[in-house]
Amino acid sequence: MKPYFGLARHDGNQPLFNLVEMSIISTLAGEPLHLHAEGLRGTGKTTIMRAARELLPKITRITGCIYNCDPDRPHCPLHRHMSREEIKALGTEEIDMPFLEISHSAKVGTVAGSIDLAKITDTNNPQAALLPGIIPQAHRGIIFIDEINRLADTSPEITDILLDVMGNKPGRLQIEEAGLPTVEITIQVSVWAASNPDEDPGPLEEVRRQLSDRFDMVVYMGRPSSVDVVVRMLEGSDRARREDFDANSFAAKNQEFRQRVREMAETYRVTELPDFLRNFIARVYIKHNLESIRAIEAVQQGAVLYSILKKHKQIMINDVIEMLPLALKHRVDGDTLVKIMNGLESKSSRDSILNIKDRRPSKATKEREEAYFDGGARRLKDMGRQEIIATEKALNPNDF
Amino acid sequence: MKVDRKEAFNTSSVVGNYLNIYFGQEQGVRLGESGVVSLKVHQVVAGRKGQVKILTNRDAGQCLLEFIDPGQVVHLCVFHQPGNIHPREVAKRIFWAIEEYVQQEDPHPSYIEKDTLQNAVDHALRIQVVTCEGKGLVYDLFQGQLEPLDPEDQVVNHVRVLIKVGSDRYGIILPIAAAVEEAIVNAGLELGKVRKIIHTRAKEQEANFSDYVLVPWKQLKNVSSLTLRENRNQLVMRLAARFGSIEEVEEFLSSYSPNIFHRMSKDQQHRKWGNLEENLQQFEELGIIKKTLLGTFLTRDGKELKEFILNHKCELEAEIRRNIRRKPKKSGKIHKLGENIQKVTNIEYVNYNKVKRHNDDTWSGHLAIPQTLMQAKKSSLLRHESRLTIQKEDLQFYEKRHYIPMDVCLLIDASASMAGEKRQAACYLAEHLLLSGREKVAVVTFQEMKARLAVPFTKNQKILSRGLKNVRPGGLTPLADGIITSVEVIRSTRVNNPVLILITDGMPNFPLWSFDAKRDALEAAQKIAELKVRFICIGVESNRDYLKELADCGKGKLYVVDDLNRSNLVDIMDYEKRVAYSS
Repeated sequence: MKPYFGLARHDGNQPLFNLVEMSIISTLAGEPLHLHAEGLRGTGKTTIMRAARELLPKITRITGCIYNCDPDRPHCPLHRHMSREEIKALGTEEIDMPFLEISHSAKVGTVAGSIDLAKITDTNNPQAALLPGIIPQAHRGIIFIDEINRLADTSPEITDILLDVMGNKPGRLQIEEAGLPTVEITIQVSVWAASNPDEDPGPLEEVRRQLSDRFDMVVYMGRPSSVDVVVRMLEGSDRARREDFDANSFAAKNQEFRQRVREMAETYRVTELPDFLRNFIARVYIKHNLESIRAIEAVQQGAVLYSILKKHKQIMINDVIEMLPLALKHRVDGDTLVKIMNGLESKSSRDSILNIKDRRPSKATKEREEAYFDGGARRLKDMGRQEIIATEKALNPNDF
Repeated sequence: MKVDRKEAFNTSSVVGNYLNIYFGQEQGVRLGESGVVSLKVHQVVAGRKGQVKILTNRDAGQCLLEFIDPGQVVHLCVFHQPGNIHPREVAKRIFWAIEEYVQQEDPHPSYIEKDTLQNAVDHALRIQVVTCEGKGLVYDLFQGQLEPLDPEDQVVNHVRVLIKVGSDRYGIILPIAAAVEEAIVNAGLELGKVRKIIHTRAKEQEANFSDYVLVPWKQLKNVSSLTLRENRNQLVMRLAARFGSIEEVEEFLSSYSPNIFHRMSKDQQHRKWGNLEENLQQFEELGIIKKTLLGTFLTRDGKELKEFILNHKCELEAEIRRNIRRKPKKSGKIHKLGENIQKVTNIEYVNYNKVKRHNDDTWSGHLAIPQTLMQAKKSSLLRHESRLTIQKEDLQFYEKRHYIPMDVCLLIDASASMAGEKRQAACYLAEHLLLSGREKVAVVTFQEMKARLAVPFTKNQKILSRGLKNVRPGGLTPLADGIITSVEVIRSTRVNNPVLILITDGMPNFPLWSFDAKRDALEAAQKIAELKVRFICIGVESNRDYLKELADCGKGKLYVVDDLNRSNLVDIMDYEKRVAYSS
């Protein structure tokens, strides 16, 4: 696999690199950021997302807890009722931030949780116990789903679970299995997905609208547009074959990034979006009749993360603008999106919302209109009370 | 005198109450004989004396003033014979009328005159008057200030009054209307008679995108690359939506290249894309083309655009396909007549994600082994068995699902009247069906004197769009031949649940066997019934009776739409699919 920092960056995939890094920061800070990369075959969606695995920092959990319980905030059925002292006694351990994948052979049982087969078929001591699935095991980490549009099409049941997990931050998961009490746990997991909207069954928003709205950000991958970039990419692949690249230098870069992620997550926990930017985002929502509040929440979260990632001293309006296409493209039609983005550049609302300008009539129709009404209408004050109001029906009864 | 005023006030309140009811039903009314009042935009119907349209999907406040919420502004038009009337005169009378009304509203003696005035001024600040000579708020006009008209304010034969007032105070409208009438008569003009009002929806105008799309090749500062990318995409998407496909956009742009061999004649363009006048104007505003003495040419930006389209064809086409898959917004009126009786067959497949307990006696199906095992183990525990046994009630099976494939043959009228939007809509439907389903699509067109198989049954979008590119409307309507050709196509291909969809806006006028084009078509339609093909006919109101007969002959159903546009066509097909699934 190619190292993350060895991947060539260009205009078309830079946003995905940014988002992946932002999502890692956000996940470490305890707030998921769900990403969806859409694009044609071979544009590097999956490569970038899988490569980002090397960057993942460590998290601390209660020793051996398969649900990745945070020692300060235990949530799993095993530990949530324990006192601080009891947990201390169990000890803690450092693990890599989880990065799990949901594949297409996934079943509800493997994703959410099921009866533990090993335990129930144990001949000496058979017992019915729960085996948590991929989602609970990825708590405080990342789940990657390739070809999510196909998953949404073929497994609506898994999609329903994802809707629940991604619906709120943090989300929730309910594991139900006949013969066992229902277990409900909170889940804090960033979902990364990739799909090719051009392949069966079509773009995610057509397959399952709700699921597409759950993604905070969607990147449309672009192809590299210049020869230079393509040459650099070829060079990278070539070097990987010869294996003469400096693995250590990449490892050092990863290490350095991991260190930075920690700091940035700390900053993220304390940074607040300035009021005027908040108002600005709210106005976009009202003015353009956006449907989902998630959209503007995503813009807000994204703007803060972006400014931190880019080491801006304070959050600027440009950070917000940068996030708008990513957070809105899958939620509004292209026309509205362009209006929103360009509307910010001081075009009057009149031009962008209304198009009465279209109705410029030709001179001829204007003249025709002038002698358009017969004169001699009676005046209101000469009319009886009953006659004043006339509806369409009253005026042309024949049409009804 | 006092009683009179009291009574006038009562009348106003009653009228106000009625208006509130009508407005609540999204209706407008004629007020008196020359006024029309509603919350919507009004439009005069050209060529028909005394008719006024009320556009129910255009809110007056949103369209004429810059309001965000609908329903806030009452729109009053008082029509008059051609002539000039100064808005100030109108404003004066309106102000007096308001003052009078406000006084009557609260005639309590302790009410100080100053308050009355203040109240009236409040109103005056919320009423805008527009006449052919200018416009302004009543208050400003009263002070002698006058704003010039915007080019989009077309007021030649009426006085327009926009009143921002809550629904509880509609009583004020009648006095205002009376005041305007007075002003008109005073100016020596006759009041115009409104004979008819019609509620209708404004046709969605093809929005003028030159107002807000940035041409990304212009030198722009402080614009992020993502923004530019979106603009570029949007521009191309709009063009593709207008012309049908990327290739046709290319064709269009090439027709303005300096190479005379690539240029298309105006007539050729018109046959394919309909009226381009408006689009050309937009392109000029965007700076993509420019008119010179030698003709119209692409500018440098235009050439860059063409270059960009050539270099990024595959992404752009993918995005277009994506847009085609998207369902357009709902609009328009559709009437359904008749019912299909043909049976459909479905295809079954196994859903490995859902397991169910077996409950019939056939024992058939796909056994879900892990689930069965687990169930057996659990049951064994409950049954207190020492060894694992599998009983019949432990068996678990995967669920079956089924879907109904519907292969579609589109029979498209390509006579001259279909040029432009209707052609585009029919082609769009073909692509939408192909991309959003798993079924095969074929297209047969009929024009001039015969029918032509434009696209044979295919699942390949490339073949489809190549075929559609060559649909150039023109000529007569040989419907009978069209039907026979498509019946042949369906008969000679292996298809699942074939559906024949006829899209036409006219009547057959070219016969096949006899001299009667209509009867030939009816006869041909019987062949559809013989082949037991589902037949769906989509047409417009004016040919309803004949098409109904045609649909009956083919044992099919008829949809009558108000406009043959994309969303109507897609809506109909969506509905059809749902019906087929539920049957």
